[in-house]
Amino acid sequence: MPKAFEQPFDAANIPGPKMATLLEKGKPVANMIKKAKRPLLIVGPDLTDAMFERVLKFAEKGIQIVATGSAIKRFIDAGYKGNNVRYAVLHELTQFLVDPEWKGFDGQGNYDLVLMLGTIYYHGSQMFAAIKNFAPHIRAISIDRYYHPNATMSFGNLWKKEDAYLKLLDEILAEL
Amino acid sequence: MVFEISKGAFVVDEMRNVSIKIGEVIEEEEEWAPMGPTPMPGIATLRDWDFFLLKRYKPFYAPYCDMCCLCTMGKCDLTGNKRGACGIDLAAQTARIVAIACSIGVSAHAGHARHMLHDIEHVLGKKLDEIPVDLGPEIAEVAPLTQLITGIKPRTLADLDRALKYVEEEIVQVVDSIHTGQEGSYLDYESKALHLGMLDSLAKEIADIAQICAFGLPKGEDNQPLIEVGMGVLDKSKAVIIVIGHHAPPAINIADYIEENGLEDEVELGGICCTANDMTRYYQKAKIVSALGRQLKVIRAGIADVLVIDEQCIRADIMYHAKKLGTPVICTNEKAMHALPDMSKEDPDEIVKYLLNGAPGVVILDPLKVGEVAVKVALARRKKRGDELKPTLSDEEFEKYVKSCTQCGNCTIACPQGIRIGEAMKAAEKGDTKLLEEKWDVCITCGRCEQVCPKNIPIIDVMNYAAWDRIINEKGKIRRARGPVRDSEIRNVGAPLVLGTIPGIIAVIGCGNYPNGTKDAYTIVDEFASRNYIVVTTGCMAFDAALYKDEEGRTVYEKYHDRFDAGGVINIGSCVSNAHIHDAAIKVARIFAKRNIRANYEEIADYILNRVGACGVAWGAMSQKAASIATGFNRLGVPAVVGPHGSKYRRAFLGRPYRDEDWMVYDVRTGEKVKIEPAPQDLLVAAETIEEALPLIAKLCFRPNDTDRGRSIKLTHYIDLSLKYLGKMPDDWHLFVRTESDLPLAKKEELLKILEDEHGWKIDWEKKKIVEGPMRKYYAGFNPTNVKRLFEEGFMTL
Repeated sequence: MPKAFEQPFDAANIPGPKMATLLEKGKPVANMIKKAKRPLLIVGPDLTDAMFERVLKFAEKGIQIVATGSAIKRFIDAGYKGNNVRYAVLHELTQFLVDPEWKGFDGQGNYDLVLMLGTIYYHGSQMFAAIKNFAPHIRAISIDRYYHPNATMSFGNLWKKEDAYLKLLDEILAEL
Repeated sequence: MVFEISKGAFVVDEMRNVSIKIGEVIEEEEEWAPMGPTPMPGIATLRDWDFFLLKRYKPFYAPYCDMCCLCTMGKCDLTGNKRGACGIDLAAQTARIVAIACSIGVSAHAGHARHMLHDIEHVLGKKLDEIPVDLGPEIAEVAPLTQLITGIKPRTLADLDRALKYVEEEIVQVVDSIHTGQEGSYLDYESKALHLGMLDSLAKEIADIAQICAFGLPKGEDNQPLIEVGMGVLDKSKAVIIVIGHHAPPAINIADYIEENGLEDEVELGGICCTANDMTRYYQKAKIVSALGRQLKVIRAGIADVLVIDEQCIRADIMYHAKKLGTPVICTNEKAMHALPDMSKEDPDEIVKYLLNGAPGVVILDPLKVGEVAVKVALARRKKRGDELKPTLSDEEFEKYVKSCTQCGNCTIACPQGIRIGEAMKAAEKGDTKLLEEKWDVCITCGRCEQVCPKNIPIIDVMNYAAWDRIINEKGKIRRARGPVRDSEIRNVGAPLVLGTIPGIIAVIGCGNYPNGTKDAYTIVDEFASRNYIVVTTGCMAFDAALYKDEEGRTVYEKYHDRFDAGGVINIGSCVSNAHIHDAAIKVARIFAKRNIRANYEEIADYILNRVGACGVAWGAMSQKAASIATGFNRLGVPAVVGPHGSKYRRAFLGRPYRDEDWMVYDVRTGEKVKIEPAPQDLLVAAETIEEALPLIAKLCFRPNDTDRGRSIKLTHYIDLSLKYLGKMPDDWHLFVRTESDLPLAKKEELLKILEDEHGWKIDWEKKKIVEGPMRKYYAGFNPTNVKRLFEEGFMTL
């Protein structure tokens, strides 16, 4: 059982006994990123401008990013030129992620830490469920503004408290 | 007992006190085609084909629930693919849930078909063998799914009854396998789900052909008249009857009663969901009020004088809402009776009196009585109200409610779309109702927000009030559904479809659980029709696509023709009419390629998967029927794209292009095994946004058998849609290039340069030819099959 518990953003989205541990600080996330051999940040289309500003900072720090849905257009419109941002259909990407044999975007192997923000909430939740149950090689962290019960760890519901949420993202960025 | 007599005389001699009863005389079927290998396949018959599909399109599981709660040994926690008390692991349990969903879906269609046959006999007073299966002079290949699956070419509705009995037995066998302590493999549960999907397609065909032949619905004729659609199309100066559901005979009886009594100017007949579609195929003066997503908006707007429901997709709380408004409900189907008294045997006038005395509703299971009761009640109720359609809330009530919102957010976390209702309320409190109006369309009117509002705000009424101008002005046009695709049309398009010069058939189908409102339905239809794809529509999406207009004020049904040809937009019909889309693909194999379709499922599915660039789009898929519909398309080799809510179906079929062994086919021409491009890459996939869906749909129209000209056209659209909606070239476009002539002509040099620079391909620039790079070479004689048996024994052609 999680040490701390929060209500899922979709109130009835209670998957079972194993639900995400609530993350209330950004620093542990930064530590997990630093310790990971192959971290991957999934960025979906449900982003405010302020969130995307932070996402660009993640990109600039060199973390491998995959933009799903129409989020890739945000990077293109922002003129981002780095080669660490790729596009994928989230459903297809997650199928690849649950396959330990997948070689990743760079041919170097699958990922051991997946972070996610901005995905369409309920769809992202399903992708976390796939990883939770069928990808023991991956630790999945939600750094979204909603509590994602199917992640290993998740920020809480901060959709009405944007400043508090952005502060958490800034805490992660400050440590990277 | 069956006592079979072949040729010769049968002499009964010296028998006394023996009675001989003959139950059914089965006439020998005309030998119209050799019987294929799999007439009336059982659960295991097509397992090899399924296992091929399941290897290439590995089931992807995203459990909605990590537990199993189906037996008393549980609840079992299966998290992390653990096994439960019965031994089942989470993958198999999730596949089992998928099989349950498909069994519900196919049962809905098969139950509908069975009910249809019963009603036809009752309403027409004829036996099924007296009603011919006649789809007109231009359709010789009647009931291709029935032919393909059962080996029966139906001559009368009694033949369809035989096919339906097969469906019913198979459903029972599969549902048996879902019991605790049966199947333990996710692969076999998926094979069973695919079997159910196939049965679903057959049941739909039976239901639709039966109603077409019995009630004289259109038989594939194009240039169909336009039908009004939208919440603003009903004339409130008339008595208004709204029918809801998926079973047309009661609505047909209402239409008959209106016409027979000359009441067209006094009674308005409108509908929601598939009954509306089927009703307009019979009675052109009927109107379509809305698709499923607006059912509660319509009910709560108080438009109806009487609600008549039949089966499927009806709000379970319809009585709760109708009672509040005082709108009587007539239940016409034993599958949805809402605890109301069954007055089927009563005199219609007695039932009318009962309802007008304030009874909330009644059950009438005899469709022949429904028309008289519904019309008389509606006319009587009409006299007691005014002409104008007004919001159910007054200005003062609206203001009071928006002020009472405390921004607690309960509604948002209860909302499937996560709509920030509180923010919209706050804006409305300050006099700006625009946000509420915008969200009105995104809202699927599930009503969960009202269940959790601590201030008991009637949120649906508040939104209806804010969107009132939109409601009364919502007046779209849709073509009357035309049903099957004609053989002559297939003769015209068979070659261009298989060669790829018509880039694909886009089947826009399914429910209205869209992620971001109804306009996406219009966008999908318009985008692909404008690119010369053949766009066929059914169900709720067919209606929602009709609600929007271009700059010239035309809906997609007015802008495009309704021939099954390039650039057509064809309203095929209701959910059960989806069978005609399968049929079109099967008829390409039969008419264009001369393949024998009789009891030859595997070969035809293999043909379609390799050659017919069709893709289903169920952007708002919600129901178990949508699950079985998609699964039926998938077994036949047709991929489908669903919206983001579709991942809640728990299972997708997603290919892994990096696994070479999954993409090998036999080339019958050369006798070699060839690695092909991932075409199509997926069989069932959810897109996250409409911008992502559009290029993805185009991509799923690639087929290994495309000619270079066809591939060039398909690539043009894939690249163009990706640039238009995602702002970039697709990452994988090069996988679909086999030769320089596959490249879009207008961009050939630019693309050759990218192939050289970014993918390391060798280009002969003098000749502008690809020297090295593609995974396989293109040659026109490529003749692919995924089935070893067909590779060794050859195809069955006629």
